Amino acid sequence: MPILSIRKESGSVSNLESTSALHGFAAPGRYGKRDGDAGVTASERKNLGLATIAARKGQEAALKAAIQSAYGADLPDGSTSAVGKGVRFIGIGPGQWFAVSDSLANEALADELSTKLQGLASIADHSSGRAVMRIEGPAVKDALAKGLAIDLDPRVFVDGAAATSTLSHMGVLLWRDGDAYDVALFRSVGGSFWGWLRASAAEYGLEFVTTS
Amino acid sequence: MRINCPYCGARCLEEFTYRGDATVKRPESIDESARDAWVDYVYLRDNPAGLHKELWHHGAGCHSWLEVTRNTVTHEIVAVELAAKGR
Repeated sequence: MPILSIRKESGSVSNLESTSALHGFAAPGRYGKRDGDAGVTASERKNLGLATIAARKGQEAALKAAIQSAYGADLPDGSTSAVGKGVRFIGIGPGQWFAVSDSLANEALADELSTKLQGLASIADHSSGRAVMRIEGPAVKDALAKGLAIDLDPRVFVDGAAATSTLSHMGVLLWRDGDAYDVALFRSVGGSFWGWLRASAAEYGLEFVTTS
Repeated sequence: MRINCPYCGARCLEEFTYRGDATVKRPESIDESARDAWVDYVYLRDNPAGLHKELWHHGAGCHSWLEVTRNTVTHEIVAVELAAKGR
């Protein structure tokens, strides 16, 4: 049976509740230092639309024009992001971007991008393969510095800045949204990430909350 | 050692993988007469004390191939370009 016919039926895969990448080992609550306000707050941004966009050969200018027309965003030429209508576009390499959306949830983002950018870019859905953790709080930079060799000083890592790097040897994509940092990691390393975060934020007090 | 990736900025060594001499050229011909050129391409490398053009892959970052000019004596990196420049 063609996969498309499964997805379009009611009660199909897309209507199921997605399971947290931290399900089974990270319970909401306070970890580490108990007294005072938590220095670090973490939550999972669930049900996001996540997709990669890779420009086809010679189509980069046309792709940029199409994104500007459809979403009102200028695709960045470096490791930073641009926010358009409901979608954040993050530079992850020459001619490649990672798109993140709340409103176009799960595979809806990749489906829409595939339609709107036909012939200009190759689109891959990442919504079921990655988890996005939001890390914030007064001690967030100190905690992240224990695993991430990126200078997060606000003078250089400005709002919207992004980095593809490693966090405690796990490949991550990180971007700044206001005072919060979003970390996209492969779901399969969710447990390792949680172990690292719990240990690294313990001295500041870690509050883990669920969202969505 | 850090490499200043043209796309990502300065990153530490463990994000990169070394590929080797960036100046060797793959022989066009696969004829038996090109045997020496192939031996040279596959096996023979200079071992300069000083500036060396070499390929590095930014595997933990933007996945670009970089052409790095490095001083093999001091490890000083004097230039980094995208290997795909102009392509």
